[in-house]
Amino acid sequence: MPAWFTPNRETWLFRVNPALKFMIFVLLLLFTLFTRNLAFVSWLAVLFGILLYGFSGYPIRKLALLSIPLIISFASSAFTMMLFGKGDTVIWQWGLFKISEESIQHGLLLGTKSLTFGFVGFTFLLTVQPVLFFYAMMQQFRLPSKYAYSFIASIRLLPVVVEEIQVRSNALKVRGITFSRGMKGWGERIQAYAVPLFAQSIRRAQRIAIAMEAKQYQMGAARTYFYPTSYSRMDVVFIGVISVSIASVSMVAFVMN
Amino acid sequence: MKKLTFTDLLITIMVGVVFGILMKFWDDLYTVVKPMMPVARQLLYGMWFMTGVFAFLLIRKPGVALIASIAGAGLSAFIGHGLEVLIYGFAQGLAAELLFAAFRYRKFSMVIAGVAGVFSCAASFGLDMFYGYADLETWALVVKYGLRAISAFIFTGVFAVLIVRALEATGVTQSIRPVAKEEYSLLDR
Repeated sequence: MPAWFTPNRETWLFRVNPALKFMIFVLLLLFTLFTRNLAFVSWLAVLFGILLYGFSGYPIRKLALLSIPLIISFASSAFTMMLFGKGDTVIWQWGLFKISEESIQHGLLLGTKSLTFGFVGFTFLLTVQPVLFFYAMMQQFRLPSKYAYSFIASIRLLPVVVEEIQVRSNALKVRGITFSRGMKGWGERIQAYAVPLFAQSIRRAQRIAIAMEAKQYQMGAARTYFYPTSYSRMDVVFIGVISVSIASVSMVAFVMN
Repeated sequence: MKKLTFTDLLITIMVGVVFGILMKFWDDLYTVVKPMMPVARQLLYGMWFMTGVFAFLLIRKPGVALIASIAGAGLSAFIGHGLEVLIYGFAQGLAAELLFAAFRYRKFSMVIAGVAGVFSCAASFGLDMFYGYADLETWALVVKYGLRAISAFIFTGVFAVLIVRALEATGVTQSIRPVAKEEYSLLDR
């Protein structure tokens, strides 16, 4: 999998400080979440589409593959909203389904928001190294090291957890375990997986924490970093590009209407 | 108040991350069910509210519900569910955390856990209103979020509590929970 996620070329987006990039993207997401202006959100989707397809450094083929779930979620959320959304100017009605002008508007807004979120998310994820992101969060945004290292340790242990899930799944299969139908069955299923998984994970986390403290890791102590991160000229470029594009998108969406 | 040690914190975040992975597998099930059975789909939704409540029931210290919820959402975001889930994770964890805080972090019953799940559900509903998921006809709105709240109660109040009880039986919780005064006084006898 990691090989698949290697870009063709490292674009300027890779050289932006990862923590700064994250903060700006989250800010944009909050902004998008709270707007109700369809034109504005559509232009944002276009903007981030360009950012993802043009500047992430990945071939179009891979990006298109990654975009399939985004298109599906666009379609499914938009159609559900169109059929069941509220609205008075009814265009078509059949039983419980009712399409109105407002519900089409709401459906498109919802779908476009999902699309924008998807593009922003992929643009961030495809151009960031997780470990460096946490180091930058510690150094540039003063995230306490205890959170950052806990996250890094947990992420490093992901493959082990996934393997444990598969082992458990096979074990249940070999033993011929069957689950009840309905809600009770879901409970049984969650319990069958969660109990051994969490028992192991808790013990493992405890061991790691004790090992780290034995090696003199202290919460809140002043420290140096193995990977130094800093701001660079690229961060200025990034902020410039984002502000200019947001400003022009707002101009087009709000002023020209 | 009982402060979080580094071990507690690492366990909290690990629990959140493991939930993030479980939710990935759950999501596959959810995606299959999604188009066919809208009711079942909403009833499956409660899984997304479990993380914070479960972590709190396990470790029983302040801050745990919020941190675990953010960690779980962070992992979901990291494996490609979109950065917006972080905002949801934060809101849901905060809602559960506030409820536990209102009881001074001393109540761990099924009802409190279930209500915490419903609080998380309400917080996600608040965000859905801004997102645009809630612009539904009134009947659809009531059915959708009503089922979701019921699901939240079942998953956090029943399933999470049962899993924690099973974990207590295995003995792993003994070493991570704060020691009560009575247990110290046992030493003096």
